[in-house]
Amino acid sequence: MLRDIQLRYAPTLLILLFWVMFSLTTLAQAAPRIGQAAPDFVGVDTNGNAHRLDDFQGQTVVLEWTNHDCPFVQKHYESGNMQTQQRRAQNDHGVVWLTVISSSPGTQGHVSPDKANALTESRDASPTAVILDEDGTIGRAYDARVTPHMYIIDEQGTLIYMGGIDSNPSADPADIPDATQYVIQALNEKAADEPISEPITRPYGCSIKYAD
Amino acid sequence: MIGKLIGKLLTHLFVVALAASSIAALANPVFEDHIEVELVSETQTIQPGSETRLGLRLLPDPQWHTYWRNPGDSGLPIDLNWSMPPNTHIHSPSWPYPQRIEVGHLVNYGYEGEHLLPIRISWPDDLIVGESIEIRLDAEWLVCKIECIPGQAQLALSLPVTDTPALDAAKWTDLFAWADRRQPAKTHRSAHFSIEAERVKVNLDTGGSMFGQVPSAQHIFVTNTNVIDHAKPMGVQAGDQAVELDLPLSPYFNGTLDQLGVVIVDDASGQAFAWSAQPQAMAHEPSNNVGSQSILWILVSALMGGVLLNLMPCVFPVLSIKALHLLQTPSSAHRSHALAYTAGVLLAFGVLAGGLLALRAGGEAIGWGFQLQSPWVVGGLIYVFFVMALSLSGLAELGSRWMGLGQSTASSSTHRGSFMTGVLATIVASPCTAPFMGAALGAAVLMPWWAGLGVFLMLGLGLALPLLVLGFMPHWGRWLPKPGPWMVTFKQLMAFPLYLATVWLIWVLARQTDAMAVGYILIGLVALAFVMWLIRLPERNPTLTSVRHAVVALGLILAVAMLASAARSDLSEPREADLSEPFSASRLQQIIDNPQQAAFVNMTADWCVTCLVNEQVALSSERFANALKDNDVVYLKGDWTRRDERITAYLAEFERNGVPLYVAYPRNGDPPRVLPQVLTPEGVSRVLESL
Repeated sequence: MLRDIQLRYAPTLLILLFWVMFSLTTLAQAAPRIGQAAPDFVGVDTNGNAHRLDDFQGQTVVLEWTNHDCPFVQKHYESGNMQTQQRRAQNDHGVVWLTVISSSPGTQGHVSPDKANALTESRDASPTAVILDEDGTIGRAYDARVTPHMYIIDEQGTLIYMGGIDSNPSADPADIPDATQYVIQALNEKAADEPISEPITRPYGCSIKYAD
Repeated sequence: MIGKLIGKLLTHLFVVALAASSIAALANPVFEDHIEVELVSETQTIQPGSETRLGLRLLPDPQWHTYWRNPGDSGLPIDLNWSMPPNTHIHSPSWPYPQRIEVGHLVNYGYEGEHLLPIRISWPDDLIVGESIEIRLDAEWLVCKIECIPGQAQLALSLPVTDTPALDAAKWTDLFAWADRRQPAKTHRSAHFSIEAERVKVNLDTGGSMFGQVPSAQHIFVTNTNVIDHAKPMGVQAGDQAVELDLPLSPYFNGTLDQLGVVIVDDASGQAFAWSAQPQAMAHEPSNNVGSQSILWILVSALMGGVLLNLMPCVFPVLSIKALHLLQTPSSAHRSHALAYTAGVLLAFGVLAGGLLALRAGGEAIGWGFQLQSPWVVGGLIYVFFVMALSLSGLAELGSRWMGLGQSTASSSTHRGSFMTGVLATIVASPCTAPFMGAALGAAVLMPWWAGLGVFLMLGLGLALPLLVLGFMPHWGRWLPKPGPWMVTFKQLMAFPLYLATVWLIWVLARQTDAMAVGYILIGLVALAFVMWLIRLPERNPTLTSVRHAVVALGLILAVAMLASAARSDLSEPREADLSEPFSASRLQQIIDNPQQAAFVNMTADWCVTCLVNEQVALSSERFANALKDNDVVYLKGDWTRRDERITAYLAEFERNGVPLYVAYPRNGDPPRVLPQVLTPEGVSRVLESL
């Protein structure tokens, strides 16, 4: 009798087991994907305010990984390209722009809150906030690799863009005018209710100096 | 007049001064942050119409590096912009293979220490002998340790044009030689890749002789940027004729790929080879962004694929017979049979999909048909197909009972039969891929698990659909021919597609394994046929019956053992190093002439059973391997499987015209000794020790 029951239910149990294994592995999966929920995070900015991704539900969020001493970041700040993009994103699209610094203490790009604010001031940048992620938690959750590395998250919290700042992988500011500015392109397409033509691009720049 | 002259003179002076100042600005070499860069020429002079090489010499500080053509996860390749006399042809740089450099969580491909990037130049015919040409190079690079510094320099070089062949500039010979040693040899052997979910599968034909051992992952470089995730582990498998790579696809890969460049360096010799891999037909773009509309479309494709699966040669015989059988049962039972069949199909698909998706989630790089990559499964399917075919041919009822082809009653046992037919239909369908299925399955593995499972269940539903329709709409059955004696003939006819499917699977197995494995499986098939024949024999008396049962059990054990032996010769598993060198008369003469070395010659052929037994028993033994090593004996193996004049001639020296032949050559040059045709590990080892 017992054996009969076992035989009858064994396949069902097997399938149930697979399902459970599956849901677990999906939960454990960290790397972000286009079209799926962006990893939530809590980060403290240079003025001591905590920001949680979920708090920005209903708004589009741009994440920008940076390191002010990285030549690729300098390419886009010294030419004014990054500042222009921040203003256009905020003024034209009402975007929340979070600049994230994941350099660990003692490495290139790591800054104190005051220094970060001074940099924002001197470069005439206008991020909504600059988040200091010196233990690299947010950076790793997004699998951010280089500076600059860009992400766009839509009003529902879905990741809609990840990749480079533009289409010319170089440290030479002279090639900016010829490049496709991917973030602005994606924001414009989104505003026009068009599909994002290039949701994934090659991120180029300096490796992020994570804590070990 | 004088004013004009002075004016002209001033202009000349101005031009000369300008030229001088611009040359002064063009230093060569230049010393920039953490790197020294110089434009050099392999030759001291050039000849009109000739081809010579220039090189960009780079010397970064210790621990700093520059980048290869594919810099890896970050970094930038060296970039060159030339200014040359008109009609000069500048070839693309001949990139020496790089080294793998780990930087934090990323991996880069680049160069540390002094290195040189050679560039071939074809000079125009109209250069004027006696003059010098001016070459300008605008070089850009990125030099990194952990931090990176982009650099840029205008480099200049002046080369005299002569009418005599150019002399090498001795100063740079070593550096050009360094770059030449690291130059991959382009192979024109076949190379294919496919992108399956998050892996890039690459198959490279090596012709069997390129690599001494399985190449290590740190010596494998992909030339395309932004295709693979360089820091993630890669899989490398080497068979006799090919290297297979399983590379992690970069999450930032976008769009399609026409060509994949791969460079592999042989660990032992340092010799590098380059392939240009072409896409395999199965390759598809990763569709990370699966919207709800497309999910619907994928489900519809899956359903259509499932329906078409019924027409594939693996499934059609099972299905058509089941359908005809259904018509013979009372129509009141049609629905329940159709439902039981559908349940069987769906359950089997669910288990298969669960397994596939779970393994994928666990990081295994597999796709549909993954089960066929295992010789175990292929061997098992060969058995299933063969037994089914035999039973359709009328040799046994074993399969018929399974398929519910037996007595046609509506009893519960035939419901189970219908259920089992469903399971069986899925099993036999698994090697087949119908149109529409590829796209659906490709998408299924990228979707969330519940959607993926949905795709598989839709496939199953499609497979079950024809019978389901027949069960619920009995009047559709009128379109089918009336049951009758012709069905026996039809059943027997349907055995032949299954025999063909068996042949195909044996071919698959042969590709995965070797001739030995095919032999094992064929023996297994004979054992199965014997068992089936035995089962059908009429009962005689109890003693004979129990003997028969014992023999049946033995036959089944033999079949399983053969399957296990076949699976063991899986080529993708790393194999033991081959102890032997291929036989050649010149190599043998070399060993005979060398008083330090002894030789053991084995003349063999795949079709020679004695040879194979000896090789399995004596020449594969550890004792033999140790005896070779300890006594420093070179093992030469001649393969006479195909006609080979040289081996025939060698055999004739010993007045033989067949294999096996085992000959031992002592170190001291004494005449060779011929060993007996049946070897034992002890016997052959003792001979080796005495040489």
